[in-house]
Amino acid sequence: MNETELEARLTSLAAQAPAGELGTGWRSAGRRRSAAASIALAAVLALAVGAAALAAGVASGALVIPWTAGQLGGNLHPAAENPGQPLAGARLECMSPRRAADYLAAHGFTKVAWEVDADGVTTHVSTPPAHGYVVPGAIVDGTLTIVIDQRAAATGAGSCAGAPMP
Amino acid sequence: MDAASGVGSELPLAAASETEPAEAFASTVGPIYPDLVRRLVLVLGDAEEARDVAQDAALQAWRAWERFDGANPRGWLYTIGLRLAFNRLRSRRRWIQAIRRLEPRPWDGGSDPDLWQALRALDPRVRAAVLLQVVDGYTQAEVASMLGVPRGTVASWWARARVSLRRQLDPEDDGG
Repeated sequence: MNETELEARLTSLAAQAPAGELGTGWRSAGRRRSAAASIALAAVLALAVGAAALAAGVASGALVIPWTAGQLGGNLHPAAENPGQPLAGARLECMSPRRAADYLAAHGFTKVAWEVDADGVTTHVSTPPAHGYVVPGAIVDGTLTIVIDQRAAATGAGSCAGAPMP
Repeated sequence: MDAASGVGSELPLAAASETEPAEAFASTVGPIYPDLVRRLVLVLGDAEEARDVAQDAALQAWRAWERFDGANPRGWLYTIGLRLAFNRLRSRRRWIQAIRRLEPRPWDGGSDPDLWQALRALDPRVRAAVLLQVVDGYTQAEVASMLGVPRGTVASWWARARVSLRRQLDPEDDGG
């Protein structure tokens, strides 16, 4: 099956999934929020959370404060190996974490955060994990974050597809 | 029925300052809403749950409407909806562990149950990334931003999902 056929089948499947109409619940919830309540809520939020936290889209309890479309466009963190990025051409993908750490240290990247994805659980550690595939990371707030795939079924991607996990 | 006009016609008489944002919200979100539900059905696997999450997403979107700059309403609404869906999935796992029951009523996959089965085998975040990229045409950078992961992760997810889907749908396919 070629790529075009797969995409056509996915598109068809998505179109067949049950839909729904925008109800009216949002309006009643919105109306309950009077202007005075809005001002009070804004003041409380500003005091409790702070404008910086709001701008970062921080989750507050169960309520995830949504990203704005402006942030969608402006908050991107291109992969560190993308063209124009500090590690363009480094070919870190599929390296073992320790080998990647050695490479990064040799090139002056001593401040690295390791984001480990192990079967749906993501953790952050400060030292390179013992095993896993390197997935190109990104530089966020000045820190290079390298993603490590440790999922049991991980098989590598690109040129290392199917290779055993380091 | 045109979702936007349908909702708009139900709007109560109110001061213009209150009605106009509601009309603007309905005309912006209404046409996108059915597609949001469809994507959520494919991520959550359950139509009723998808409609619940879509309603919650609409509520959150309405509450945030004043802060929304209007540049990418579909991406904005999908982001809210998908993040709620992932929260829901985490809660569902805890709930299942707690009471060892809860039988979802999964969607049957329409005319392509094989593809649906292969798609359901993927992690929900990966499934969402595939749909956003293939069906909705978002770039990997946009998908990364919507799902809150690095772009490289999305690229990796896509490469593996493509191989997984093709292998499941055509076992003789080498995935290349």
